[in-house]
This record gives sequence, structure tokens and C-alpha cells, in this order.
Amino acid sequence: MARRTALIVGADDPADSIAAGLEAASWDVHRLADDDQEWTDTTIAEALPGLDRADLVVHARYPAPAREPTLLMDLSAEDWHQRADEPLDAAIRVARCAHPLLAATSGTIVFLVPLMASAGGEGFAPMATAAEGIRLLAKSLAKTWGHDGIRAHAITLDPTAFLERSIADGMAEANSLHDPPLGRIPDLENEVAPIVAALTSDDFTALTGASLVVDGGLWMPG
Amino acid sequence: MSTPTPPPPPLTGLLDGRVAIVTGAGQGVGEGIAAAMAEAGAAVVIAARRAQTGEPAAERIRAAGGTAIFVRCDVTDRDDVDQAVQSSLDQFGRLDTMVHNAVSPPGPPRQIQEVDDQTIELQIATSTTASFHCAQAAFPHLRTDHGSLILLTSPAGIEGSGNLPLYGAVKGAQRGLLKSLAREWGPEGVRVNAIAPVAWTPAMDVATAANPTLEARLKGRTPLQRIGDPMADIGPVAVFLASPLSRHMTGQTLAVDGGRYLGL
Repeated sequence: MARRTALIVGADDPADSIAAGLEAASWDVHRLADDDQEWTDTTIAEALPGLDRADLVVHARYPAPAREPTLLMDLSAEDWHQRADEPLDAAIRVARCAHPLLAATSGTIVFLVPLMASAGGEGFAPMATAAEGIRLLAKSLAKTWGHDGIRAHAITLDPTAFLERSIADGMAEANSLHDPPLGRIPDLENEVAPIVAALTSDDFTALTGASLVVDGGLWMPG
Repeated sequence: MSTPTPPPPPLTGLLDGRVAIVTGAGQGVGEGIAAAMAEAGAAVVIAARRAQTGEPAAERIRAAGGTAIFVRCDVTDRDDVDQAVQSSLDQFGRLDTMVHNAVSPPGPPRQIQEVDDQTIELQIATSTTASFHCAQAAFPHLRTDHGSLILLTSPAGIEGSGNLPLYGAVKGAQRGLLKSLAREWGPEGVRVNAIAPVAWTPAMDVATAANPTLEARLKGRTPLQRIGDPMADIGPVAVFLASPLSRHMTGQTLAVDGGRYLGL
């Protein structure tokens, strides 16, 4: 059986761990990980020479400045651009470039978003802005790309998947009145990557537009 | 068949002595909100990009007995937003509510890979960048007396949009912002909420004219079986969010759409 192809977009975790988990499961993994420059369609296309199909695209691109806590009143216009507008714009461009790759395989695109997207986060207004926009982009793509055979999902992860531990500490408590029911925050490589891979399998062909929360049960919205 | 929906009760007095800025208030939902807030007693700054719509909107409020001024404001320009805030302070001495409603037209239905670069840039600039401008410019004044920020989002920002995927993304982005600001500003007594309306607007007029079956389909999927009126249906909800009646609400999105979206 031919190896399945995945494109992982974004540097650092959770992208690194998801890539490692997929490689361990024998996926042919390609990376697009230069987060520190502004992305255009050309940037993305030039970074993917020869890649004309993908079974899976995982988006987890949140540039380093977006992961630093800063109150809104302390942000400059350039800060806002780097942390909110540019990451949202880049995600839209990634989706545009991913469409032909996924249409070639009836593939799946998965957007990884931090809990702050749907729950808010003090000091993370720009990251939450970009991430909630990206989560809604996933739903919109599911609605528009279904007829091309492409499925789209978002997976919400605990803040520790995106932030330094010292920064993330306390954010879970701010959003939840209980400890993780499963006793731990999921391990990205060994517990989240298999879920991402499973979403591409024939067992999940009826599922699209899902917003899954994979955090061990800390946040149970809706 | 039900009887026609009765008009809402008078809003008189709910916002007496208060001052609001409403962006994109030259027409549509923005004008409806501005008119309702004026009816409720607020002095209103009509912040609109075009004087051709903004000045007449302010005049209609004054003709109805309300207090309103027009300020030219492109919400993508921080200096313009600062000037709108300064005009509020100069003319009325305070600012209690900032309503960010303006958004560039999303254009015709099309897939994300078909959307041109300029539309992407404008949608982000008027939705997320402008929300940042409005929030940051208003906050020092909102916190002096339990003020509030109101963002106009959309059901598309809650459930996504098959017709306008870009619009769904930028409207969802505003909801990420409001929840974080609710956390940041709550201790200062400033509330941040959003309205997701479905109402008759110039954009809706264009969409229904272009697609003759759209109005009937939309009404058919709406439990209250009609499309909202900007002043009578959306305006009072903005008045509620600006008033002390909602003093224990922050970080919330109210879908004011006749019940079309029932996912929450």
C-alpha cells in the first residue's frame, strides 16, 4: 500500500509533535514551517516543489509573537498585524493552495486551534482572534468543499500545546472548574496525532465540519 | 397564519445621558442601531466612511428628536477612529458605548480559492483590524463609567458559511477577540458582547435581488419567518447590551436572526 502524504503547516508544537506522530505511523510527511515571514500564495507554492497531492493537510501556524501574552492596550498596530491579521490571512492562503492538493485525493484538512479561540484568553486577544477565525474557516470550507470530496475539521487543544508551560499554567483553570477527567492533558504525538490521522480514514467519511475538543475533557462547551 | 408582529415598546430613557459611537451607521444595521440608541436617550456619533450616507442618517435622528452628529471615519485608519472618539468627547463630554458595525461588502458567493487578494485584505481590515482600532481607542473612556464594546458579527461567524467562507472566517475572528477582551476588561467593569443579526440591509437587498429565491428560502428556514428590521429588531438588542439591563453579561454573542441559528 502506498504511503499516505501529509502536509504539516507551522513551526514548533503542536505541528512538530503531530508531524512526528504521523511519521511514526509511516506517513510521508512534508513540512511548511517558516512562520517568521509574511506568507503569500507564491511563498507557499515555492515551498512545496513537486507536491501535487496530499491526503492530509494540518494547519497549526501561529508565529512566535502570537504566543507571547500581551494585554490589548499594550499592543502596537504592528503587534496586532503580526499576531492576528497576518496569521489569519496566511491560513486563508494555505487553504487556497491546499485545495488542489486535497481535491486530487478527496483528502482532509485539519486546523489545530488553541482553547483561547473559543474560550478567550487574557493576554491572547490577537491569537484568539486569528484562531477563532481559523476555526470558522474550517466550518466554511467543510460546507464549500464537500462536493469536491474534501473534508474539513478543527481540533481545539489545551493551551499547553501552543504555549510555554509557564505561560499556559493557569489558563486551563481559568476555563474549567475541574481537573482533566482523564487525568492528563493529551500527549500530542501519541494521542492527538492518531486522532488527526483517523479523521482521514474510511471510517470517518461521513464526518465533516467537526469542531473537536481534544483536551482530556477539561473544556466541555455547548 | 400568525398575526403581524407587534412593534417593540418605546426605548425611552434606557440610555439617558449616555454617549455611543456606531461605525458604519450611514445605513442598514448600523443606522438602525444608532436610531434605536438615540430613541433610548443616547447622544450618538454616526461614524461612517461616506458623508453622503452618514450626514443624512444623523439628520434623520435629529429630525426624530434625537441627538446625533456625523463624523467621517474609515475604520481601517486608526487616526480616523481616534478622531471619532475625540469628537464624542468634544461634543458630548464622554463615551459609554462603542459599536463596531462597519464591514466591507463580502461580494458575491464564491469559494475561498476564488476570492481575490483585495477582498481578503479588506474583509480582514474592516473586521479584525478595525475591531482592534475601535477597542483600543475606546477603552480608556469606557472604563470610566462601566461602558461597553459591542461588535457586530454574523451567524456565519458561528456556524460558518458555504456561500461566503471568507466572511465566516473574519466574523468568527471577531468572536475570538470579544471573549478574550471580556476576560481582560471584566475586572475594569467594561463589558464586551456581540450581536449576530440577520436583517434587511443594502447588502441583503443586493443578495435577494440577485437571487430571487433567497428571501423565500431564508424565511422558510427561520422560525419567526421574517427577516429582521435594523431599527425595530436589531436596534433594541444593542440598546439592551449598552444599558445596565445587561450589566452581568459579557463575552456573549446574541443571535438576533428570528431563530434561524439554534446551535448554542
